[in-house]
Amino acid sequence: MRALAVVVLPAELGAAGVDQTAEAFVRWVRGYRAGAEMDHGYGVTRLRAKGSSPAPGYLRQLAELRAALLSADMDSKRQVVTAALEQARINDLPRTPDGRHIAADLMAFYFRSSDANDLCYRAAIGRDLCRGLDGSEQAPAPLKGRA
Amino acid sequence: MPRYESDVCIIGSGITAAMLALKLSELRPNLSITVVEAGKRLFDTENRMAYRQRSIDYAENAWPGDFIEDQAAQGVISRTMAVGGSALHWGGTCNRFSEEDLRLKSMFGLYTDWPLAWAELEKFYCEAERRLGVSGEPSPFVEDRRSEPYPMAAMAMTHNLIELKKWADQSGIPFQTTPQAKNTEPYDGRAKCIRCNTCAICPTGARYSPDYTFRRLLQRKNFALHDQTLVRKLVIDDGKSTVAAAEAVNYQKPDETVEYRAPVFALTSGYCWSPHLLLLSRSPRFPNGLANSSGLVGRYMCGHAFQSAMIEIDAKIYPGMNEQHGLISRQFFRVKDREKFVRHDLRVWESATGHEPRMRGADGRILLGDGLLADWRQRAQRGTARVRGYYDVHPDRDSSLTLDASAKNRFGDPLPKIEHRLDAATQARRDFTREHFQQLFQNLAKTGNGKVLNTGAGNYLDHPAGGCRMGSDPASSVCDSFGQTHDHENLFVAGSPTLPNAGCTNGTLTFVALTLRSAERLAARFAQG
Repeated sequence: MRALAVVVLPAELGAAGVDQTAEAFVRWVRGYRAGAEMDHGYGVTRLRAKGSSPAPGYLRQLAELRAALLSADMDSKRQVVTAALEQARINDLPRTPDGRHIAADLMAFYFRSSDANDLCYRAAIGRDLCRGLDGSEQAPAPLKGRA
Repeated sequence: MPRYESDVCIIGSGITAAMLALKLSELRPNLSITVVEAGKRLFDTENRMAYRQRSIDYAENAWPGDFIEDQAAQGVISRTMAVGGSALHWGGTCNRFSEEDLRLKSMFGLYTDWPLAWAELEKFYCEAERRLGVSGEPSPFVEDRRSEPYPMAAMAMTHNLIELKKWADQSGIPFQTTPQAKNTEPYDGRAKCIRCNTCAICPTGARYSPDYTFRRLLQRKNFALHDQTLVRKLVIDDGKSTVAAAEAVNYQKPDETVEYRAPVFALTSGYCWSPHLLLLSRSPRFPNGLANSSGLVGRYMCGHAFQSAMIEIDAKIYPGMNEQHGLISRQFFRVKDREKFVRHDLRVWESATGHEPRMRGADGRILLGDGLLADWRQRAQRGTARVRGYYDVHPDRDSSLTLDASAKNRFGDPLPKIEHRLDAATQARRDFTREHFQQLFQNLAKTGNGKVLNTGAGNYLDHPAGGCRMGSDPASSVCDSFGQTHDHENLFVAGSPTLPNAGCTNGTLTFVALTLRSAERLAARFAQG
């Protein structure tokens, strides 16, 4: 999982940041609740439930990538992951991990997150945090250590 | 058969029921009130932060269990059926209608007038704002003058909103922040907003939600809330035209009929389930259902249409600062040229549209890691404004809610089917309206060196209402301006179903204002003390 994370996550996270994100994704998979009710708020009238756990599919996909991820150089690793995503016909970043491919889902897990939003804008926006109203009229502070 | 008696039986438990029950309990403290609700009570506020997080992380329902699987209607806008109703997850927007909404016939020769004066409604808007705890700033238009200030100062604009307002104001259209039922200071026992950016599940109670009112009411000895109990029929007194009882079934004991008896019944189940129950309550004496001598129960179903645009502008927007707070202009609430009638609000919010991460670059190749981040950053240089106008459309008589014999719940009751239809005058304005918005969006874009990324028109009517419209004439309306039905003197309909038309901005504050007015009429039936 860490080897895959190095390929699909930005190097700007640093080695520790990449590892932490990979670990958080594993926790996310463990916390997944098959059959849980999904959002059906205002304007969304179809009742839906979460599908089965993506974990078995992820393990199979990781096993398929394992050899390349552990031995090849970075360019080759990228080619292998890209080929896997093409084969899985992933055309866009999933809104939320959807179980089609572990590489796409790890990317969605990170790049759709509040942390990634901060990294993109190099600012402590904290989209998904409860931040208080005070000071919100100012532009968010620059990310610490990432000016 | 279990039988419950009270002075007032309220059917439905959304924001209308909460406000009606609260005001009645204040005006007549000795009154016994029973609220009957098909859905569950979801009062576990201690879990809301966790539900919010699961919703963010897994797209799970932030209100688990807030629906009844087989109690579904075609054409509704929300499946929520729980104590608190749709207002459990509303955005808290509290715009007022304007006088034009009440006087379409007399001012423009269109559709109909409401049977109450603007000044009368305005009083109750003030009360509604106090009870919900609305934070806002006054409109710059003299026509929108208020008789009382907002109970709380407006929420401060975020950096994003300041940038958007600078841009929008350059167009010459005056904007203000949108009033919201969100606390900018501790208010009515609820906390100050802490900007969680997830108002659909407010974890702190800073955004008003009816469940807080119900929990307060439950501390009263003579208030009862019967949830998970579906009212299936209203029964008329033998030989009279008054409602004698509501027949219901509790989901825990589905084989047993439960009867509610009261001298007064108030139907507060919203635009869908209120007319539905009246139609379901048909009998040999009332073959078309109750309150339906006019044939207008389930007719004139209304809402407003909308046009939207995403406009990319030269502004530094940081998506996610407070996506729930926006700007409104009321400039287009007024119409100068009757021949070119288009009335609408105009709203602006921050948006990430056009600047979201994507997996394939412009050349179609897959992006990974650094490549994806670089592509995202490059596209995120400019900001995006989400712009929307809710515009005034008027229903045809055949804009209807009917009983759908092909879809039934577990008890065999036919479910509602809503089909909106616009009147001929509205349809005749369609092209002009579309052109008006296209021109407006282009003009807005020009002001900020902007570019319209896309435009869209809704394929449904938002903020729906109607189905039991109010009026003075029993031949052309279901109830009077207090919601008292013309046909049954002890049966009231409150809130959204009574609206003849849905204006051109969010309706909740209007539903509440009308309900608070109804509460006074209803209380007057009972002696004080």
